[in-house]
Amino acid sequence: MRKLIMLTVVCVSLQGCASLGVEPWQREVLARDDMQLDADALDTAFDDHIYFSKEGTSGGRGFGGGGCGCN
Amino acid sequence: MVGAASAAAAAGVTEMADKDTKIGAAIAAATCSLLGTATPGVSIAADTQAPWDVESAFLYYGESDGRVKDMSVSAQATRDYGDERKLGIDLSLDSLTGASPNGAMATNGAQTFTSPSGRATYSTPAGVVPLDDTFHDTRFALNGNWSQPLARLYTLNAGLGFSSEFDYQHLGANFGMTRDFNQRNTTLSAALAYAQDTVKPVGGLHAPLSQMTDAVDYGEDGGGGGGGGSDSKNVLDVLLGVSQVLGRQTVLRVNLSYSDSSGYLTDPYKILSVVDPVTGDLIGRTPAPGASGPTGVYLYESRPDSRRKEGLYAEMRHDFSGKVLQVGYRYSTDDWQVDSHTFESRLRLPFGSSSYLEPHVRYYQQTAASFYRYSVAGGSAPLPEFASADARLSDMNAITAGLKYGHVNAGGNEWNARLEFYRQTAKAPSEFLIGNQIGNTQMPDFDAVILQFGYHFKL
Repeated sequence: MRKLIMLTVVCVSLQGCASLGVEPWQREVLARDDMQLDADALDTAFDDHIYFSKEGTSGGRGFGGGGCGCN
Repeated sequence: MVGAASAAAAAGVTEMADKDTKIGAAIAAATCSLLGTATPGVSIAADTQAPWDVESAFLYYGESDGRVKDMSVSAQATRDYGDERKLGIDLSLDSLTGASPNGAMATNGAQTFTSPSGRATYSTPAGVVPLDDTFHDTRFALNGNWSQPLARLYTLNAGLGFSSEFDYQHLGANFGMTRDFNQRNTTLSAALAYAQDTVKPVGGLHAPLSQMTDAVDYGEDGGGGGGGGSDSKNVLDVLLGVSQVLGRQTVLRVNLSYSDSSGYLTDPYKILSVVDPVTGDLIGRTPAPGASGPTGVYLYESRPDSRRKEGLYAEMRHDFSGKVLQVGYRYSTDDWQVDSHTFESRLRLPFGSSSYLEPHVRYYQQTAASFYRYSVAGGSAPLPEFASADARLSDMNAITAGLKYGHVNAGGNEWNARLEFYRQTAKAPSEFLIGNQIGNTQMPDFDAVILQFGYHFKL
């Protein structure tokens, strides 16, 4: 039952998403480099690495930051 | 049933919309080329004149009071093979020097410790948080990533990563898929990463909560201190995400993440002070005759051999007539009881014809791990199974404030520089303080400067 409710919620949410958004010819702002979700990837990689070394939690945005002994 | 019917209806809508997408996409491509911007979600041939897009940077990270300094050079190169097939190569080289807190508490007298190699000692003056200044390392990291469309609306990406330090090796692989919906206004993604890391501490591995012993001089060529050997840890990460265009000026991303680490999760260089269970003062120790060694009783830390983390991450970008506001939030919780909240925001302010300024603020706050201790009570009380005095596992908050400047030159390449300040403030949970420690704790708080120079160009 719980799974059915979850599935319904997901489907309704996706339908909700279908009413959001823009037409392809309305993307001139969204197409700019500074509107990309992965813009400034190198800054993000440096930051993830620093905060991974200095704080108790890491990750979330992607898989960045790991793979170091970091004391 | 209702859900299945909805899904089928949604699929029908998507099919119809896709026909419109092709016409719309052609118009968008024409519009974007007139505007001189990149085309979103449209397959275009690679720019054969400059197939490589390279972001490169030099980073200086320096902590106050002679603590850790890191100089790093890094480059992320992406080669576009056309039709959305891309190869990414990331290279990074770090050089770390400086002193790092060893976990012992500050005391009224000077303290001496055996260095991680087990061959020498270092001392800390009275009233100062002990720092191990033998810390230095060089790290090299290489990552490769390939992404390509798998079928219409599906994109596949896969990568391999490797990094190496004197005492640490990392090998990782990741695999992910994305699926576009709703005229590419909605993208669902799922990704999996697996890493296998090997720790080979200087001076060897120590048994959990074993006592720091006198330094031993093995001579020029012989042996090593501690127990020797290496250990490993495995990390599995799962990421589920959705990105959604909310309007002509707004885009949102939400990720759910799960991470499972197992194996050697202890920091081999961190210790805890053993204190009198009533006064809370360090229990003294006298090195063997003729030897040099610790002047107090210290134990090597012990952490559980597994950790499961769950996280929620949300990020939104919104354009206000050319200015871009980015806000992000992350919540993380794990079975070590470390719960954290991170808030982050950037505002890109263009000025002139080709420059921008970008202020940045970040706030981070976490709760202490269940096994964090300021010190360990000696005497007849049994030792806890797990204990760490690493401030990164205590109650802590941190703030970052910075400014970035960028300028695009006539060739379309960008120079940028950023300067940021980071301040970390930790607190020992009061329930773990004993006797004289109450009101007298000293945490290894620090300030750091982050300075970065970057150049983004095409080849």
